[in-house]
Amino acid sequence: MVDIEKLREIAREIISRDDVRQLIGYRQGTYGFRARPAFVTDPGEVDKLIFSPACVNNLATYITLEERLPVPRGQEPDLRKVAVMVKGCDSRALVQQMEEKAYERERILVLGIPCTGVVDMDKVEKRFPGVLARGEIVLEGDKFLLTYDGKEEEVAKGELLADKCTRCRYPTPLVYDQLLDEEVARFADDDYADVEALEKRSAEEKWAYWEEKFSRCIRCYSCRNVCPMCYCEDCVLDRLNPQWMRRSVDVSENTAYHIARAYHLAGRCIQCGECQRVCPVDIPLMELNRKFYKDVEELYDYEPGTNAEAPPLLSTFKVDDREDFIM
Amino acid sequence: MKNPYIPYEVKIEEAWYETPGDRCIKTFKVTFADEKVWDDWSHLPGQCAMVGIPGVGESMFCISSSPTEKGYLRFSIMKMGKNTSALHELEAGDSFYVRGPLGNNFPLEEWKGKNVITIGGGIGQAPLRPVIQWIRDNRDDFGELTVIYGARTSADHCFKPEFEDLGSCGDACCHLAVDVEEEGWPHFVGFVPTLLMEVSPSPENAIAVTCGPPIMIKFVLENLEKLGFAPEQVYTTLENRMKCGIGKCGRCNVGHLYVCKDGPVFSYSQLKEIPEAFA
Amino acid sequence: MAVKKLSKDKVKEALQELTKFRLIAPAKSDEVVIFKQIENPDEAYLEYGNSTVPPKRVVFPQTETLFRFLRGSPELKEKDVEEEGTTVIFGLRPCDARAMAIVDRLFSWDYEDPYYLKRRQLTTLVGLACVEPPSVNCFCTSLGGSPFGTEGLDILLTDMGDHYLVQALTEKGEKLQETLSAHLEDAPAGDEKKAEELAAAAEGKIARSINTEGIPEKLPTLWEHELWKKVSAACLGCGICTFLCPTCHCFDIQDEVEETGEGRRARMWDSCMFSEYTLHASGHNPRPTRRERTRNRISHKYSYYPKRFEVIACVGCGRCINLCPVNIDILEILEQVVDAS
Repeated sequence: MVDIEKLREIAREIISRDDVRQLIGYRQGTYGFRARPAFVTDPGEVDKLIFSPACVNNLATYITLEERLPVPRGQEPDLRKVAVMVKGCDSRALVQQMEEKAYERERILVLGIPCTGVVDMDKVEKRFPGVLARGEIVLEGDKFLLTYDGKEEEVAKGELLADKCTRCRYPTPLVYDQLLDEEVARFADDDYADVEALEKRSAEEKWAYWEEKFSRCIRCYSCRNVCPMCYCEDCVLDRLNPQWMRRSVDVSENTAYHIARAYHLAGRCIQCGECQRVCPVDIPLMELNRKFYKDVEELYDYEPGTNAEAPPLLSTFKVDDREDFIM
Repeated sequence: MKNPYIPYEVKIEEAWYETPGDRCIKTFKVTFADEKVWDDWSHLPGQCAMVGIPGVGESMFCISSSPTEKGYLRFSIMKMGKNTSALHELEAGDSFYVRGPLGNNFPLEEWKGKNVITIGGGIGQAPLRPVIQWIRDNRDDFGELTVIYGARTSADHCFKPEFEDLGSCGDACCHLAVDVEEEGWPHFVGFVPTLLMEVSPSPENAIAVTCGPPIMIKFVLENLEKLGFAPEQVYTTLENRMKCGIGKCGRCNVGHLYVCKDGPVFSYSQLKEIPEAFA
Repeated sequence: MAVKKLSKDKVKEALQELTKFRLIAPAKSDEVVIFKQIENPDEAYLEYGNSTVPPKRVVFPQTETLFRFLRGSPELKEKDVEEEGTTVIFGLRPCDARAMAIVDRLFSWDYEDPYYLKRRQLTTLVGLACVEPPSVNCFCTSLGGSPFGTEGLDILLTDMGDHYLVQALTEKGEKLQETLSAHLEDAPAGDEKKAEELAAAAEGKIARSINTEGIPEKLPTLWEHELWKKVSAACLGCGICTFLCPTCHCFDIQDEVEETGEGRRARMWDSCMFSEYTLHASGHNPRPTRRERTRNRISHKYSYYPKRFEVIACVGCGRCINLCPVNIDILEILEQVVDAS
């Protein structure tokens, strides 16, 4: 359980440093149980920072999403660090980004949050519909305690917990400069039961399943934009000349898009689940990502985002790499 | 209702390069494949058209001929992206497609009796060319015509033969510039805004029209102000990425104005109120 | 025309009747409600809050052909919208119908957009009043709408428990009511009065609001205000807020050619939140960051659109708030605009 006062105290110290430009954390959302990203540049703003099981966003995305305009002539680039709050899963995005040399370790200052699990906001809002006044969620033992409109309700942890947390192997961040609480021991593991169920389907069943899902896609690209691993400055999907992918929206182009997206994340996806969380039409994108994740683990004994010193999987070749799956 | 998204086929009568290089400029002199289109077609200087090839795309260009030049249209196009590169492949006898005329025009009716100064840079001369031609073809309606034009080098000047003609016929006062010194160049060396100050036209009963790269326009506008031109006396054209050309698709707006529909011609007094105009 | 009742046990047969047209109704896949063409009345899902994707996609499809061509041939074959036939959108929410009435102004301004306008002519809108506001983030009443609003609708249905009250609002609506007459009965006495009470109660349940007075004029004066940087800081630059907005209407036009040489020019939804939306061929981008793009999105809706068309291009449906992955909240932005100095 992160002590909010301690969090704010540490944040105040960090943002007061001369070599820190900004701290990215969480604050209360605008309604209901929502929390949202907070961007703190001034010690006076630290009192809005929070951490709770409602803090679902993976803030590692903002490290690579930052827009850097050309520095005007006569001005120096701002090389100060960005401080960022990360949960265990989020921290693996930082590790993977650094493994891919997206930036240098010195550029960031990591505030690690040992995490006991976050909620699935859809589940929360389905269970407590129509809550407008700002509410709060805390975890107490094996229950979430929800406070809103002067009411207090307890819900068993499992009922509101995000799916990804039920198989989390790394609740404590794998990279940090400061840890906000005691380390959290691994409380779950991944048996890939969901992936195995999907694998058992016939090709026809799989196609019918995905065709229906992809037919809903509106190509808002929220899954790409929220992804901490989708940080190409010039994304192949945005290219207008030459145009690699049509902008027209139909099952065929949507399928091509999702295949391209999933393949570009093979051996890179760190399972933060953000793509699936943000999808407005509920496409179960993690099912694709997890299939790759399982394959990569089984074939190469590799887990993305666990070792910043390791070379990225798909840019390395070993003589004894398995190749029996190549047709 | 007439479908404004369906383009007319045009045949290229002549095509020639105005300038060389990676970003070369090619002029196309075209006529409608179906002659009957001329009956519905009427444009004024400053107006534009969507020009393209089905299968490649469309982009907005000014019509660089004056309606006083009968029986053909001209487009002068710089090679820049996908569509312009495909257009540059075309030669006399080939076709492309045109939708228009689109947008507003220079208010030449209001300018009658006034002195007109055009200040152009590079491909920015293309929308000014029909203004100059219109004035030459309606010479008695206007006062003095002063043409100021510059480009990086003399090879980068568009419409070279026409400038020679202009200078000699007495219709206009021509002032040409190149950015950097070159052998045999008899005219001004330096940037267009500087040449403008050298020429120093009087704002009295005058209209100034400027088109060119944004940085040139910025300094020309400043210098015109120094010369005493009021914002209402100054006109320019804007450009933005466009798709529909008819005020629907949304993207070309500067503030509340659609460049495709409310422009491309704007007075400086209009643009001064729009912070996004020179973004 | 008299008000009628459509008994709930006759809804399916009424829908069956309507399948002789192109019938569009809310349908559910997984937890997502989307308007789509239905052939079987069982597919319709009327017990919904509001759809994720607004029914604007029926009259303004996400992708549509403008004309077809064959490479090398000068002939262009215009898409004939008439072929789609008479269309009924059944069960849309009043805010989404009002949005169409707002967007009509854009597509009929100056140049008439034949695709959109023909489709609008062919379409009859059967609305479903919001007895319960579908979301905590509904704020239609701030924009001149209402949970029982009729603007843009041809027929309004009100859920009265065991039946729907059916009120035809336009000639088109009366015609459709006529078509359905075999399935309708006279409305019980007092239904209309009860519906009025439900309407008043529903308005009272709209919890969020904004006073829009003065916002259209104020927005351009806040061009360089620091609020734009703050409200866009968390923005991911995705298309959710615009694609799912019932009044957002921006589009791209692209040519697509198959290997056979057959091709089409098509238009597809575009978003001012995408960086390549304003990207020039030269590489210059007049809106280089999400700050400028967010400022444009809000300004377009709340300043540019009312300046030209005398109506704010927002109906308060709340989708952009509900579905934003980072909880960017248009009402919070507007409150900051109001408070800014």
